[in-house]
Amino acid sequence: MNLGAGRADIERADVIVIGAGPAGAEAAITAAEGGLRVLVLDEQGAAGGQVWRAPVGGFPGKGDAEAAAGAALRERLSASSARALFAHRVWSVVRETPVDGGGAPGFRVDAVGPEGNLSLRAPHLVVATGAHERVVPFPGWTLPGVIGLAAATILLKSHGLAPGRRVVMAGCGPLLVAVAAGLVGAGVEVLAVADLARRRDWLARLPAVLGRPALAVRGAAWSVRATLSGARLLPAHGVRRAEGRDGVERVVLGPVDASGAARAGAETVFEADALVVGHGLTTACEVTRMLRADHRFSRLQGGWMPQVDEHFETTIPGLFAIGDGAGVRGQQIASLAGRRVGLALGARAVSVRAPRSATADFQAVDRQLARARPFSDAMAGLMAQRAGQVAAIGADTVVCRCEDVTRAEIDAAIDQSAGSIDQLKHLTRCGMGPCQGRYCGDTVQELMAVRLRQPREAVGQWTGRPPLRPVSLGELVGSFSYDDIPIPKPAPL
Amino acid sequence: MSALLLFRPTRVVSVSVDGKACELPEGMMLATALASAGVRALRTSPRAGASRGAFCLMGACQECAIHVDGVLRQACMTSVRAGMSVELRGVP
Amino acid sequence: MSRVFDLVVVGGGIHGCTAALFAARGGLSVALVERGALCREASGVNAGTLTMQMTRVALIPYALRAHAMWADAPNWLGHDVGVVVCDGLSLAFTEHEEALLTERAGKRRAAGAPIELITAQQAQRVEPGLGPGVRLAGYCKVDGFANAYLTGLAFRNALLEAGVTLMERTEATGIDPEGLGYRVGTAGAAVRGRRLLIAGGVWIEPMLGWLGVHLPIKVLVNQLAVTERQRPVMRTVLGIASGLLSLKQYPHGTTVIGGGWQGEGDRERGGVALLPDRLIGNVRLACHAIPALAEARIARAWAGLEAETADALPAVGPIPGHPDAYVCGSVHSGYTSGLYIARLLADRILDREPALPLFPIDRLLAQPETT
Repeated sequence: MNLGAGRADIERADVIVIGAGPAGAEAAITAAEGGLRVLVLDEQGAAGGQVWRAPVGGFPGKGDAEAAAGAALRERLSASSARALFAHRVWSVVRETPVDGGGAPGFRVDAVGPEGNLSLRAPHLVVATGAHERVVPFPGWTLPGVIGLAAATILLKSHGLAPGRRVVMAGCGPLLVAVAAGLVGAGVEVLAVADLARRRDWLARLPAVLGRPALAVRGAAWSVRATLSGARLLPAHGVRRAEGRDGVERVVLGPVDASGAARAGAETVFEADALVVGHGLTTACEVTRMLRADHRFSRLQGGWMPQVDEHFETTIPGLFAIGDGAGVRGQQIASLAGRRVGLALGARAVSVRAPRSATADFQAVDRQLARARPFSDAMAGLMAQRAGQVAAIGADTVVCRCEDVTRAEIDAAIDQSAGSIDQLKHLTRCGMGPCQGRYCGDTVQELMAVRLRQPREAVGQWTGRPPLRPVSLGELVGSFSYDDIPIPKPAPL
Repeated sequence: MSALLLFRPTRVVSVSVDGKACELPEGMMLATALASAGVRALRTSPRAGASRGAFCLMGACQECAIHVDGVLRQACMTSVRAGMSVELRGVP
Repeated sequence: MSRVFDLVVVGGGIHGCTAALFAARGGLSVALVERGALCREASGVNAGTLTMQMTRVALIPYALRAHAMWADAPNWLGHDVGVVVCDGLSLAFTEHEEALLTERAGKRRAAGAPIELITAQQAQRVEPGLGPGVRLAGYCKVDGFANAYLTGLAFRNALLEAGVTLMERTEATGIDPEGLGYRVGTAGAAVRGRRLLIAGGVWIEPMLGWLGVHLPIKVLVNQLAVTERQRPVMRTVLGIASGLLSLKQYPHGTTVIGGGWQGEGDRERGGVALLPDRLIGNVRLACHAIPALAEARIARAWAGLEAETADALPAVGPIPGHPDAYVCGSVHSGYTSGLYIARLLADRILDREPALPLFPIDRLLAQPETT
């Protein structure tokens, strides 16, 4: 069957890895070292994920330790026997039972790339799709010039552009401090940095931070640099609103309480042309959700994530989930998990279930994973969704960016939805727009939990459906002739 | 060149944006390149008609989906090439 | 002992909701039991097409009357479901499809549907967005579509206004004859009615099984897709003679693509997976019919379950051996015709003579198994 331009057959491998960030690239490299045939896909043009984004367009990059680590990973991947397919957007993953009676059940992956649709098949699938930013809505958050913290990181590390001439930063988590320091270090004028956390929230995590001395020193250096630059550091503050006509012109900050909600106190107004804001990270677990693996909810680790065992295998045999997409734990754990899965798959090529004790490598990785957890948990705590902040979203504030749906409309629809998050989607169109619920999902689910006084587990998530990314019909269909289309039997008359 | 750039681009090429010629750094992501040229409003939102621009820069939010050479593309994942034709009508 | 309603309806899709509404307006006290939210299964996820050109010949008289009800929805339903009445075209691209179209359009016209066969040139005037390659087209002015996902909200409001006792998030766990009526078990209190209507879509098979009635129902898993908003690229409802494409663009710019391509799923798990080759095949038909669609992006795809009986005709009428119990389902193009068919059944439940014949299920019953 002819599926598209030049793609007449389905490419097979032992392992398909979706995502070539720290976790996915490491898994691909390690599995390939174990003698397996590996295909790794990423929608970006190069490996590295978000934390190690490759510089583009002639920008030489920042030239720091982080940039070197990213370059090293890309080097190792290209030297490995794993076949990397960049600029490919995976839109469909289905489980397949063996066709000819022989062969293991596995997965069929479809991805659109520069040459059209590509179909791949493998008995093992490793999902390393990372996380995306959470931004809790506030008035004016949809104005051009308001970008995420992760977006500012990409501008700094990969594109070589400042977000604006007069930048205000806001949000929470370690990324806030890192990006502030990065901007200041690049000579960008940062007017203010508003952190939802109070100083004592950071101090409480000091023991975990001190367990990672190199990072502790780096973090301290960031704070010093930011202070010396003249930026106003405002702990326990958040964004009240952003204002402007066709772009951000003014940012108003105000004090917040421990739950993240605004509290009484003086507002501060900044004339700014850019607002960099981020309230933590949420897991991008669309693939595992679509395949109906069992998931659990953890506010600390970024929301919903697939349940995995010590081999990072989900409740679906052959399906593995690693990195921030399986629980936001940061780069170090992501890289370790990638290596762990690569080892497990390599061992599996020899026997069905390799016992832990059989391989010293497993134990070494597991020990490193255990050591890395306290720090990552400490940082994750600073990034977890703050219930008070969501509950305080104003009635007229747009919550679903794609469809312009306000808080008030969502609350009214919740009352008509019989407790069904899917019905809420149908009544409001939240989750039906181009972003497929990535930016509003966490907030909308929390709003339903708040209004119905239910835990997030009871509210659930939207049913996972293809396409995993928006794909144009033209890319999907490729060139074809009418006779190519496999026509099923017509309906009865 | 734009005061926002943190480096000196090696090559600058001509791109058409809504019919007007624009000089943008070759190989830079289109969304960023447009921002460096002062173009941050890329489209309008469906119900309120409000100005929208790039937000996440990682291909997730779809706010930067605009027409490049007639095809809808995420500007944050599209590299600037000479002769590119960009229309800021986006997903309505 | 809890209250005994005049009628208990099990299943809150189009059929259950419509029958409940007319029964309540006819003076009965009605309870409607739905395990999820109203019109969230087939009734909420179908393509919303209101066409004669894919309707079974036997159902044309019903579909015509249902179409009039859809068009008049603001009056009798009182709430908006986004009904658009427009022209419909059924296209033939090959010789085989021409023959199919000629035969089928002829039979549907004979049954009362105002379908005429027109040339490719004429079709191009009706639908300027058409791609090349059309050889013949069926043209019908009684066509259009509704917004399936708004249906639940509209019915919810109408049912509450009519005084129906609405029990959403209430799963029926069993049905037993009790005294002069029926007892519907749930996780909470049982719901009792003097009369019973089983309107549970693909689940009418297990529900009838509770009463010892064996009616095999095939479960179809229909794949659908919708695009992001796009500039206007079409103005009609389009299909292909084989019935394997349904295509329409909504006023806000999104286009829904359907045609009955089968995904993976079953009654227990729902629509589990969409098969990529079939999605691509379906989308290819859409792009062949309206080439401008190639510019748009697919926003999402989904699967909906549809019931089908052995002869692909409805299961609507009294349940044999069970006085005052009725079933309504498996209409095939149930969204198109369901309003009228369910209304007919409501008349029957109200002891009135239905204006058109129902579809008694005796013909479909499997022999009871001897255990």
